[in-house]
Amino acid sequence: MSDQLLSPDHPSVVFACRGVQVYVKDGDTEKQIVRGVDLTVRRGEKHALMGPNGSGKSTLAAALMGHPSYRVEGDIWLNGERVDALEPHMRARRGMFLSFQYPVAVPGVTVANFLRASLAARRGTEIPVRAFRQELNAAFATMSIDPSFITRYLNDGFSGGEKKKLEILQMLLLKPAFSLLDETDSGLDIDALKIVSDGINLASGPDNGLLLVTHYQRILNHVQPDVVHVFMNGHLVRTGGMELVTALEERGYDWLAEEAAIPEGSRA
Amino acid sequence: MAEDTTSVIASARPALDEGLLKALAATLGGDAAQVSRRLAALARYEKAAEPDRVRHLWRFTNPALLLPASVTGAPATDIVLTSAAPVAGASVTIDLWPGQAPAVQTAEDLPVGALVFTAADEPFAAGGAPAGDLFAALGDAAWNTGVGLQVAAGVKLAGPIHVRVHASAAAVLPRVRLDVGRGAEAMLVEHHTGGGPDVRVAGSTVINAADGARVRHAVVQVWEPGTCGHLAVRTRAGADADILTVCGVFGGDETKLELGTDLAGAGAHSEIVGVALVAGKQHADVHTSHRHLAGHTTSRIDYKAVAGQQARSTYTGLIRIEERATHCEAYQENRNLLLSSRARADAIPELEIHNQEVSCSHGATIAPVDPEQLFYLGSRGLDPHEAMGLVVRGFLENTLARLPDDARSMVESFTAPRLATIREGGA
Ligand SMILES: Nc1ncnc2c1ncn2[C@@H]1O[C@H](COP(=O)(O)OP(=O)(O)O)[C@@H](O)[C@H]1O
Ligand SMILES: [Mg+2]
Repeated sequence: MSDQLLSPDHPSVVFACRGVQVYVKDGDTEKQIVRGVDLTVRRGEKHALMGPNGSGKSTLAAALMGHPSYRVEGDIWLNGERVDALEPHMRARRGMFLSFQYPVAVPGVTVANFLRASLAARRGTEIPVRAFRQELNAAFATMSIDPSFITRYLNDGFSGGEKKKLEILQMLLLKPAFSLLDETDSGLDIDALKIVSDGINLASGPDNGLLLVTHYQRILNHVQPDVVHVFMNGHLVRTGGMELVTALEERGYDWLAEEAAIPEGSRA
Repeated sequence: MAEDTTSVIASARPALDEGLLKALAATLGGDAAQVSRRLAALARYEKAAEPDRVRHLWRFTNPALLLPASVTGAPATDIVLTSAAPVAGASVTIDLWPGQAPAVQTAEDLPVGALVFTAADEPFAAGGAPAGDLFAALGDAAWNTGVGLQVAAGVKLAGPIHVRVHASAAAVLPRVRLDVGRGAEAMLVEHHTGGGPDVRVAGSTVINAADGARVRHAVVQVWEPGTCGHLAVRTRAGADADILTVCGVFGGDETKLELGTDLAGAGAHSEIVGVALVAGKQHADVHTSHRHLAGHTTSRIDYKAVAGQQARSTYTGLIRIEERATHCEAYQENRNLLLSSRARADAIPELEIHNQEVSCSHGATIAPVDPEQLFYLGSRGLDPHEAMGLVVRGFLENTLARLPDDARSMVESFTAPRLATIREGGA
């Protein structure tokens, strides 16, 4: 169990947030999607975030990464430093990473050029071409991605599985301190799920942490979470361990909604 | 739409007279035949109607802004003729300065007789500008720098013909004439450079590609801020001729480029590949026209414009297929990327198809940079300008990929500094 009483800037905490609320523009007004989320992820911990479709999981993940179209309230810490006022690229350079549920295509930009620019940004120095090639080849082999993808345009015409594998390949290369993995398991067949899970495990270590957003138990059998949160209607309604996953698998979300007294109309 | 359809061109049209045109001919060493061609053009100039601003060709650009205030016959005295180095690898490097005869530097290995100099303004037997075209008549009458070249039949020029046109006077009226003989191969690079406040350019290039000729033509415009101008390129492709026209629009304030290729002989193929990168308050107006006059001809256009800040891109493209020109294929694509909410683009394709046995398609898009792309790249550590630079490069990539290596690296030598400006936050 994560210790919520631990101070967010405690040296053993890699990522924390307090009172995070997220608002999106809805015509002339605002709509609140996330209604106050506290998280404390210690080094070496894997957290899972489960919740029904439309409950705001992707919104929360993108907001934590600094998506410019959301208004976000609350405090966010990475490695003991407040990052909530920083632009996404500054959070990334400090070691935050988001694996997208739907990675966007950037036509005309090759995977190689993109990865080289990202690595240079993360490491704060240009990577010599040869060293980069070697590192890239190794990562492609690890993720079982055909090396021909190096010259393809970023996510352009990639299958769902290929996109997700490339997301985790980036996680391996960028070596983030804290990763938000948004439904990295969705749309994967058994083989791809294994590769992606192995990649996530390989990228995880005693110094970093992750939050794995998912619907399904499947991936959690491969990437064993230390802490499981259930997210509904913009709140974390329950935090526990793997037993929570089993309960959700058997009973769905409704019993939790009833316990949390969420009105039936807003259980998404 | 057109800001003012009431033209002020009557007052803006520079005054020309016989004495001036004779002086220009004398300055450039023209013969009596040139004088009479200029005088014939003067008659057309005086009768030429103002460009019709209701028609698409001039709907977005006020021609009065592009015309020089006046043209003088005297040789330019205020320019320093630098003996600029010849372009590496070029068969011939030609510098055109207004009011001066062309400065020609020929590669030592150019075979004797492969390239012949001709009058810059001699009309070809067929093709050319419509008789009432004001800019064409102005150039024909008062051109003040130019070169004519003929590539002999069957010759394959090893390196490009590189023409640097220096906008070094208030009125620059260049003309380039290229005649590529049967089965010959040539590449012409037209590099429009120089300029400054109050400089106006009205240029004209005519190319005749004989049957089976293969011509590559690059027009790159990198005028200094303050320059306004109009460049017209008219190309005629004979039977089975293969034409590639590459354009790059980067400089100047208010500029218009017209690229027109007539597919006059059966089996001719023309491809136009263009990019424009503009920022500040620049306006790049590009018009293309492919006229299919003969059967079994094919044409393709891929033009991309990137407008940052308050800049503006205009594209109008005409595909015309004549009744007798059956079994033609024509394709046109124009994409515009807007880097700021104040940038603007207009795209108007026009199709005039007079027979059913053709395959024709066109498409135009105008879109801002996708914020989700910027967020994705940002989440990987790229700052917003770097991300923008990468997206813009990507946007141009599949168009540049259509070019042969030499043309591509030539165009990229001009796009690179502009992309660097975007990466540094300048657009
Ligand atoms: N930019 C936005 N504008 C309006 N509504 C949004 C926006 N982003 C997300 N939403 C809404 O927020 C809710 C949560 O969406 P999302 O975060 O994608 O949920 P999840 O990832 O849990 O399926 C949905 O009802 C969605 O329509
Ligand atoms: Mg989601």
